[in-house]
Amino acid sequence: MSSLLSDIALGLSVAASPSGLMYCFLGVFLGTFVGVLPGIGIMATLAMLLPITYHIEPTFALIMLAGIYYGASYGGSTASILLNLPGTATSAVTGLDGYPMAQQGRAGQALFMTAIASFIGSIFGVILLAGFAVPLSRVALQFGPQEYVALMTLGLVAAAVIGTGRSIRSLAAVALGLALGLIGLDLNSGVARFTFGQTVLYDGLPLVAVALGLFGLPEIIANAGRRELPKVLSGTIRLRNMLPTREDWRRSAMPMARGSGIGAFFGALPGTGGLVATFVSYALERRVSKHPEEFGNGAIEGVAAPEAANNAAVQAAFIPTLSLGIPGDPVMAIMLGVMMVHGILPGPGVIQSSPDLFWGLIVSFVLGNLMLLVLNLPLVGLWVRLLKIPYNLLFPVIVAFTCIGIYSVNNQVTDIIVLVAFGLLGLGMRALKFEASPLLLGFVLGPMIEEHFRRALIVSGGNLGTFVERPIAASLFAVVALIILLAVGANLWMMVRARGQVKDA
Amino acid sequence: MQFVKERLGDIVAGLVTSGVGLFIVTEASSYRLGTLLRMGPGYFPRLLGVVMVLLGLLMIVTARPGGLGISVSRGQWRSTALLGAAFAAFVLTIEPLGMLAAVSVTVFLAAMANDRTPLTTALVLAVLTAIGCTLLFSVALGLQIKAF
Repeated sequence: MSSLLSDIALGLSVAASPSGLMYCFLGVFLGTFVGVLPGIGIMATLAMLLPITYHIEPTFALIMLAGIYYGASYGGSTASILLNLPGTATSAVTGLDGYPMAQQGRAGQALFMTAIASFIGSIFGVILLAGFAVPLSRVALQFGPQEYVALMTLGLVAAAVIGTGRSIRSLAAVALGLALGLIGLDLNSGVARFTFGQTVLYDGLPLVAVALGLFGLPEIIANAGRRELPKVLSGTIRLRNMLPTREDWRRSAMPMARGSGIGAFFGALPGTGGLVATFVSYALERRVSKHPEEFGNGAIEGVAAPEAANNAAVQAAFIPTLSLGIPGDPVMAIMLGVMMVHGILPGPGVIQSSPDLFWGLIVSFVLGNLMLLVLNLPLVGLWVRLLKIPYNLLFPVIVAFTCIGIYSVNNQVTDIIVLVAFGLLGLGMRALKFEASPLLLGFVLGPMIEEHFRRALIVSGGNLGTFVERPIAASLFAVVALIILLAVGANLWMMVRARGQVKDA
Repeated sequence: MQFVKERLGDIVAGLVTSGVGLFIVTEASSYRLGTLLRMGPGYFPRLLGVVMVLLGLLMIVTARPGGLGISVSRGQWRSTALLGAAFAAFVLTIEPLGMLAAVSVTVFLAAMANDRTPLTTALVLAVLTAIGCTLLFSVALGLQIKAF
């Protein structure tokens, strides 16, 4: 107990220092800003701010980047409710009931409840992070290469199979990502792989350019030609007439609790995240509700539950990232990239070797969420006005910032060429209905999984059975097998049902 | 033929996946394979390539009706081309001409990607952004990018 207190004191000394507070505020403010505006993603913002992060201490850099991440998940629901245009992908579900509420003149209540639900979900996620990351990292310090291979396989398969609906395509995307991750010099043999004679590729592809190309560029291209935004259904939004009724509170309490739990579960599982969590929690609420017919027509549960889930998932995503060094989603991959730039090797050792970083981050999450509550309740009118900025003036500036951000990482114009190439790949993948997240996770984990695979076979004398002889690795692989079996089963069942319907018709 | 046409989306996706997988296997076959005990640099990539070929075939076998993803309108071609030109301009100008010129050209071209943006607005936006970026990145943050 006393150690927990001293840990928190250490965290406070970092996060509550003037610079800590400043970067935390900067992060959550910018996060809300880009979350509110549809068309600027978190990835683009992270890339634009990367040049700044190289000049400040790694802990503050991570505090700021994390603030953008969870700040955006607060702000994303605003546009979703007022315009039916999700500010971030994870807030799409919130619009299902949030927009009908706005049409009924209850936009204020919807916004108020999403802020409260976001806060509750976040704090739940942070508590789990504080409670589980340390013991998990202790266990992970005992992991051999077999366990790492098993864990990464679990992450990749989960990312590909859960929630995408196109498992085969996503598995193929994972494989391509793993292969792209191998580009460059092989550390064991010194052989240059897939470099095609280009020496700039010897260090591998730049992560930020790859990530931003895959996620940011298709977003910008899709929105660049867009006409004006649809009309904002704000009405009069002042704190006084935003207060939810007693009935709203009563109906939202349990959905928020369930949403937090679901969100934390999917967030902590590497490879899945907020998006899956919001869909699952929404579906669950509709199933357990006494009046399922209200869903889609402005049921407040349909706003509270997915928002709690989304934010709990965002915070819980830090569990595998900080305790195992395995990123669960593209944003976490960027965070790990920033740690590596500052010479911090991600992995189970981080919590022990830099407790100030770990506890500083945790305390900053709590402070950041309190700031967000202020930013999103009394100041919500400000963000609503922001939605009226014409996008056609905004995106050229984003393009310029993106170029400078990517270029400044290595001062190499080839990085921008990589950015554009992956932007085209991202567009092509969209056209063929492939998902980009599994590819990026594969890309990040590619070199790691190969290295651990190789080591595991060296220590076991070339025996593949080593992966199922060790209890932890074996149970992880059992989970992988279970996920695949369930997916195959679900697919077959759907095919049988589809056949049946054809026969009936 | 009707069968293939209906399932074009899945079949094209499968062919592309298998093709990329085949390319990876071919390219990796020039690296030493090694044994399971001492894996060479070619072992893992070949494994991945084979997996991709198999997944591609699986997509074709399990193809379900559904067309290709998105249809592209003429306006989108225009905005995509201009955005591409904006990035290309940055690549070509940042090193010889510096930040002011590179950002101006990039922002101008990107702004023209939206056909609602008037020419003068695009020019003003380009100049203002270039000055703002130079002040922020070169002066305030001290990045190693020359201004002009």
